[in-house]
Amino acid sequence: MLDAVKPETKVVAASDIQTDHEELNASISEFVGSNPEYYIRSFAKVHEATGWFPRTFNTAAALLGPIWSATRGIWGLFWSGLLLEILAWVQIGRGAWGELGGDMLRQAESQLARAEGFRQRAIEAATNGGDAARFEKLAENMTNAAERSQGLAAAAAAESTTILLTGLIFLILIRLWQGFFANNIYEHQYEDWRVRPAKTESGIKPRNAVLGVTLLVLVVPLTVIHFTLPTLIDSLGLFPQGAMDEFPADRSLYSSIATFLEAQIDTAASTWSGAFDSIVAAVRWVLDVLTTGLVGTPWPVVMLVIVVAAWRAAGPRVAIFVVAAMTYLALLGFWEVSMETVALVGAAVVICVLFGIPLGIWFGKSPRAYAFSEPILDLMQTLPAFVYLIPIIAFFGTGNPPGILATIIFGMPPVIRLTALGIRGVPENIKEAAEAFGANKRQLLKDVEIPLALPSIMAGVNQTILMCLSMVVIISLIGGGGLGKSILEALQYAAKGPGLLGGFAILFCAITIDRIVQGAFSGKK
Amino acid sequence: MSETVVELRNVWKVFGQRSDEAMKAIHARGLTKPEVLEEFQCVVGVQDATFSVNRGEIFCIMGLSGSGKSTLVRHINRLIEPTAGEIEVLGQNVNAMTASELRRMRAEQIGMVFQHMALLPHKSVRDNVAYPLEIRQIPKSRRWAISDHALGLVNLTGYKDRLPRELSGGMQQRVGIARALAADPEVLLMDEPFSALDPLIRLQLQDQFKALVAQLKKTTLFITHDLDEAIRIGDRIAIMKDGVVVQIGTPHEIVANPVDDYVREFAQGISKLKLVQAHNIMTSLAEFDGSTDGAKRARTDDDLDHLISLSVDTNLPIVIQNDGQDVGVISKSRLLKGIQGSAE
Repeated sequence: MLDAVKPETKVVAASDIQTDHEELNASISEFVGSNPEYYIRSFAKVHEATGWFPRTFNTAAALLGPIWSATRGIWGLFWSGLLLEILAWVQIGRGAWGELGGDMLRQAESQLARAEGFRQRAIEAATNGGDAARFEKLAENMTNAAERSQGLAAAAAAESTTILLTGLIFLILIRLWQGFFANNIYEHQYEDWRVRPAKTESGIKPRNAVLGVTLLVLVVPLTVIHFTLPTLIDSLGLFPQGAMDEFPADRSLYSSIATFLEAQIDTAASTWSGAFDSIVAAVRWVLDVLTTGLVGTPWPVVMLVIVVAAWRAAGPRVAIFVVAAMTYLALLGFWEVSMETVALVGAAVVICVLFGIPLGIWFGKSPRAYAFSEPILDLMQTLPAFVYLIPIIAFFGTGNPPGILATIIFGMPPVIRLTALGIRGVPENIKEAAEAFGANKRQLLKDVEIPLALPSIMAGVNQTILMCLSMVVIISLIGGGGLGKSILEALQYAAKGPGLLGGFAILFCAITIDRIVQGAFSGKK
Repeated sequence: MSETVVELRNVWKVFGQRSDEAMKAIHARGLTKPEVLEEFQCVVGVQDATFSVNRGEIFCIMGLSGSGKSTLVRHINRLIEPTAGEIEVLGQNVNAMTASELRRMRAEQIGMVFQHMALLPHKSVRDNVAYPLEIRQIPKSRRWAISDHALGLVNLTGYKDRLPRELSGGMQQRVGIARALAADPEVLLMDEPFSALDPLIRLQLQDQFKALVAQLKKTTLFITHDLDEAIRIGDRIAIMKDGVVVQIGTPHEIVANPVDDYVREFAQGISKLKLVQAHNIMTSLAEFDGSTDGAKRARTDDDLDHLISLSVDTNLPIVIQNDGQDVGVISKSRLLKGIQGSAE
């Protein structure tokens, strides 16, 4: 509006638009530092190129290889070039001076020595009246084996020229590729540099050259010598024997830390035993309530309730599936254990939701609390269950309630995360509107934040249910009951039939719960 | 009429972690905005705003995006805390209010309408309109009656049981207006309410809104980035630029006497036909030496548009009356100059 169109701007046909070479060349010169004329020409060719194959060849890049890319600060090219070149150099080294078939030769030598030993014993046997013919036979066989080894060694040695040539050709190809594509890659870095000048390497820096050469000198000779003359490093006596093959680990450090941790856990378990026991008691109470409902109630009542729930929540098709699934469970005698499994999952989910949603709301409102909780939630989800089963046994003992606690560790993160996500996703302007009409914090939470975050919270609850279901098998390892126990028993005796039947029972339980819950959340009929 | 309802005195808003230090430095050393940004990494959002709004007035705050008009208006219900200065609403000092007093004032005395409607998507239109009353814990029967009445004011009676997303943008904004009116507040804050709507709907809503406010006698602060809208709606207009209120005046004053190039630039594109009134361009009867026999009559507050339609089929001047008395004359040449904007 004020000066949108400058008066000197003219309308020009697209074909007549000229590149502003002055500005471009000045910026390329600034970027490359040294040898600007060459790069101005090369980048111009890169800019004019239409096909995929480069029209420029950078001799310096081809001759110097990784040293060129390091000096120019193109670290991606440096590392990929270095790795490929190491492959080539190893081949060249093996072909030029490596003992090809060296181990075969050593084998032949020892075989010949043993053949000689057998001959000696044959002579001894002949003088002592023993079975000389047997030792003669053994010596002959050993000699034949040695000859075969020598043959193999010779054949391997004869391939040295081929290996050397392959390595050389590979190296030349790598360098040619670098020569052809160097300017294109460098031009790409130039584009990055234009956008982020502070974060992109430009020009020639001595520091980069020194770093590149140092890396090259450290990595290439060590690797090539290790592959071509394996005995050389050990024979130098600079490092302990075999230091290049295996990291010299300190076993005593491992065992002392492990002992220390064990002592700490034992102390904690006995110090806080009161607290741990009351947690177990609380979990057991929740589990008992659910178990009484699901197992204690006559089975026709429970079945009817589940089928009606499936029908109301997810429609007739799911209800029919649920009837079939429950018939399977009941006919094969899985009914009681299945209900125990459902009670286990239910108790875990109830506790997850009870603590997870308030925590999620808190984390959603306080960025600092969220930043603090994030690594803990990551740990809860990524730590393999087998790892925290051990401290759980130490603190809470074995059986169903500790199993539920393990399930909670694994199952709680999704509901926390998705609640926090939902709370943070509530549009700022709607919250502002509620505030502008005088809403206090509680009203804001009840009328705006929770209702708007509800879809996300429900997705979190559903995720948590599924996670708890998958965990409920693993807790049979620490004495948890239900279907997991049947499967663990089948596993221990490698009983294929019972294992498969139990597996299907868990599958049907999972699908039934998932369908009903999803149907209820989405409100679909 | 001239009772002051909203008053701002030397209100400053400085954004940033060190805003208090920056504010002290501004008072002590008179730093400019770039200096404040450089020295304290603080942004000056509102700079020394002073104005008052009278009862029943529509006070427009006009400025481009980023000029601080939304920030300024959010000081009135303290959605934003001022860094310095005083704000009075209906004689109460807003800065000194406790949290519960503030919530009470927001709920009972100030209604607000937002650019992006900000309706609650899970509540019906009726419950959205009634939400300010729900916050005040007014029983449901009363809430529903009031919200039905408010929806009637914006011609949305048939839509009370719909969800907001089932309504068009213009209708949603009318729900927003109904919600602001539901608590029967003294003051309305309108934050670019019609900016997101298409031009035809906008014109319609502007007219409806102006009529509604005149009927309900609400004191209104109306934010807009469109001077046309400000002139259509506003009794007075404040023009903001980079956090500073550069000019306050009636639409005619803004267009006729812009204080600087910035305001002039805006005012250039404005049609004067509805803005310039007969008394602005008339000459007194004594100065007029021609004949007024058979001349048509008009009133002092008739606009140019009306005067033009009176004079299209005659060469006689128009006689201007006030309360039935002849007070002045506008000749045809005077009228033409008036349209051009050079008669004053």
